[in-house]
Parts: sequence; structure tokens; C-alpha cells
Amino acid sequence: MWFKRTIPLLICFVVGTLAFVHEFVPHPLAGTFRQEMTTWFRIIGGFGLFIGAYSLLHMHVTRIRRRQAGWAYSAFVFLGAALMIAFGLYNGGAGPLAPPPGEDTMFQWLYMNVQVPCGATIFSILAFFMASAAFRTFRARNIEAALLLVAAVIVMFGRVPISEALSTVFPKAADLLMEYPNMAAKRGILLGISLGMISQSLRILFGIERSYLGGGD
Amino acid sequence: MGAPQASIRRLALTRQVIYVLVAAAVIVPFLVHFPLEGKPSRVTKALFDKVQALPDGSVVLFSFDYDPSAMAELYPMSLALLRHCFRKGHRPIVMTHWANGVGLCKELVERASSAVGKKAGDHYVLLGFKPGYSNLILNMGESLQGAFDKDYYGNPTQGMPALEGVHSLKDIPLVVDIAAGATVEMWIAYGRDRFGFELGAGCTAVIAPDLYPFLQSGQLVGLLGGLRGAADYEVLLERPGSGLAGMQAQSVTHVLIIGLIIAANVAFLWRRRKT
Repeated sequence: MWFKRTIPLLICFVVGTLAFVHEFVPHPLAGTFRQEMTTWFRIIGGFGLFIGAYSLLHMHVTRIRRRQAGWAYSAFVFLGAALMIAFGLYNGGAGPLAPPPGEDTMFQWLYMNVQVPCGATIFSILAFFMASAAFRTFRARNIEAALLLVAAVIVMFGRVPISEALSTVFPKAADLLMEYPNMAAKRGILLGISLGMISQSLRILFGIERSYLGGGD
Repeated sequence: MGAPQASIRRLALTRQVIYVLVAAAVIVPFLVHFPLEGKPSRVTKALFDKVQALPDGSVVLFSFDYDPSAMAELYPMSLALLRHCFRKGHRPIVMTHWANGVGLCKELVERASSAVGKKAGDHYVLLGFKPGYSNLILNMGESLQGAFDKDYYGNPTQGMPALEGVHSLKDIPLVVDIAAGATVEMWIAYGRDRFGFELGAGCTAVIAPDLYPFLQSGQLVGLLGGLRGAADYEVLLERPGSGLAGMQAQSVTHVLIIGLIIAANVAFLWRRRKT
């Protein structure tokens, strides 16, 4: 209980309070503290990368072991990861800890010629899904939906140059929608989110919100 | 059983037809050339003017926070901005918060610099990636050389000619974040508002509406939204690139989607009137 609850809560309170208070202290020590803390955070972030990689690989190992549907794709994950890690460590012959050599390495070649086109292809498929979804679901069922539909059509049309060939009204209307109704709504949402974040931060700081510790309670 | 199966078949067929139409709307405009050049938007021009107004040789920090999946939208504007900086004799510093974006940063800056004979370390700096997000920004605000003691190529940043007079973010007049995620807000909260530099942004079209409040508040000096933003910047730069080329396909695809929505709604209203 002491190690699992009290100490983490104490660390959270002390570090959280210091991180908050030092912003209002114009002493050089506050600057040193910030520098030290941010370095620590970055080191912890580095460990986060390892945990992410471990979690991903563990998930795919389980899928392969259980021969779940599509397990061959998981095997492909390992093939891709092994290739990139191997070429990354080889580093064009310079070795794993050396800076990358000036000329393009096999790692960079694989990145530019495999990962870049694959990533762009996956993202571009969205256009097909969006067109299909818009056709099947975007209906003027009531006044609110009709308003949304009209606004969407104006923005979609006004944001491409072909609309200017017809009339300058469309781009102006699109800009108007973006700069006033859209901005007002977004600002309201932003304020709501920010207030929520402040209240949640205070709850975590004072140990009211403990779900991040795991295990319920 | 027959009616639902027929409905599913009809739906699948409709989807296939839409996919073919979208593919045609994207491909055909690249084969049939019809130049489309719109009037640059006010927010794009504001960023262009800001880069233009900086004294020659100024340092501009670019944070290219995206990976290959957003490359189609964000690469053209990144390239146009870098070209503008090199044309003006500015010294770009390039970094990324996304581990997957380092390769793109390298390709981008080397492509833009090699065309004008600029050299790493002398005329620009490629810092690469470091983990930390907001904490990295805070570190850079304290000491740029402390946060990045070496550049991407392993050269020490201390004493680097391109970083002359630059010790922290406070010495940088303009930072531009090209983002596929929520890094613009992070640069505002932990960078711009704290260290006082001007901040410009570029982002995917889907993120752009989220950033309009920051434009009105003056926390962003300008914004390039999606491929249209890139195309506008290329028009202002008077150097057409892939952003402008993509406007044809984007225009036709938008018109197609609008046509599909209108057709579906006409059918929907007609059916509703009948029943």
C-alpha cells in the first residue's frame, strides 16, 4: 500500500506542485529546476519509446502464436522491423552509435522508397472512404443537418480554386464561415477543454483522481 | 432475407462506383492539364509576408511534425517555405517532434538547399529528432545548444556558423510548425507565449479549423491549411510546385463529392415525399 499508493501520490503532489510554482518564481534556481526537470521528462519519454515498441511487438507475437485471423500480417511487422533495425544499426557502414554518413544509407532508401509511399497510400485511401460515407450518410434530415450540409458544401467548394473561376462569392463565403461561426464554436470547445484539463490536473495533484495508478480505487 | 441481401449488394455496388469515380477524379486532372490558380488567402499571405519582412540572414526555426502519411498535404508547403527562406538568405533550423519524420526533414532540407548551393552547418541546421515534446521546447527555450548538442550529422552545434547569435528560442524571430497533429497548440503554450517569438503554422486541412482562434488572438501570424495553403504559398513565391499541381485533382474531387452529396439528398427528399 505504502509503495503502491502513498509514495506515487506523494511524488505526484511534490513534483506537480513544484512544476506549477516554479513558473511564478523569478529566481535563477527556478530556471535550473526547470532545465533539470525537462531533461528528466525527456529521459522518461525515451523509455516510453521502448515500452511502445515492446507493447507493439508483444501484441503481434500473441497474434502469431494464436494464429489469429491475419497473423501473417503480424509476421510482416517483424520482417519490416528487423530490416529497418538491421540497416539502422549498420548505418551505411558507420556503425550503430556513429552519426549518419553524408550519403544516403540503405535505411534512408527504405524509408523514402517503402515507408513513404506506403504511408501516403494508406492515408490517401481516406479520400475514397470519405466520398462513399458522404454519399451514404450526409442527409438533410432536419434544419440543423441541412444547415451543416449547406455550410460543408460552401466550405468544400470555396476552398478549391475552381470555385473562383465561377464567382468570388464562394471563397469569400467559405472564409466567412471559417473565420466567424467556426472560430466561435472552436473557441468555446477550447475553453471547455482547458477548464476540464485544469480541474483534472488539480484532481490528480491532490490525489482525488487515482485511476492513473491502476488497479481501481 | 431477399430484400436485405439486395440492399447490401446495391450498397456494395454503389460504393464501388463511387471509388471508381473518385479514382478518375484524381487521376484524370493530372493527365489533362488545366491550370488552376486561386487568389492566396489572407492567412497564407500573412505568413508569406512575415518571412519576406524578416531581415536577410534571419534565423527561422521549422518544426516539421508529421510523417509520411501526411506527406502529400504537408511536404509541398514545407518545401515552399524552405525555398523562400533560402531565397531570402535566411538560416533555417529544421527539427521534428516525430521520430518518423526525420527522414522527411533530411530529404526536404537537402533538396531545397542543394538547389541553391547552401551547406549544412554554414547556411542551415538539421537538428533532427529528440523525444520530449513540450519539455524539449522548454529545454530549447533555456538553451538550444543544450537541448541539441549535436546536429543530425553529428556535428557539435556549439560554434556552428548557421547558429551564430542564437543561444535559445528567445533569439529566434520566427518559428513555423508544420503539423499533422496537436503540436501547434504545444508550440503556442510552451514556446511562443513563454519565449516571445512569432509563430506561424501549416497543417493538414482537417486541423486548420481548430487553429482559427489562435489566428484571431494573434498567437499565430499566419496559417497554411492543407494542400490549398501550399498552392497559395507557391503562387506568392512565384514558383509552382506539387501544391499547385494538386489543385486540379483536389478541385475535381471536391466537385465530385459535392455532386454526390446533392444527388443523394435529392434522392432522399424525393423518396421521403413519396412515402
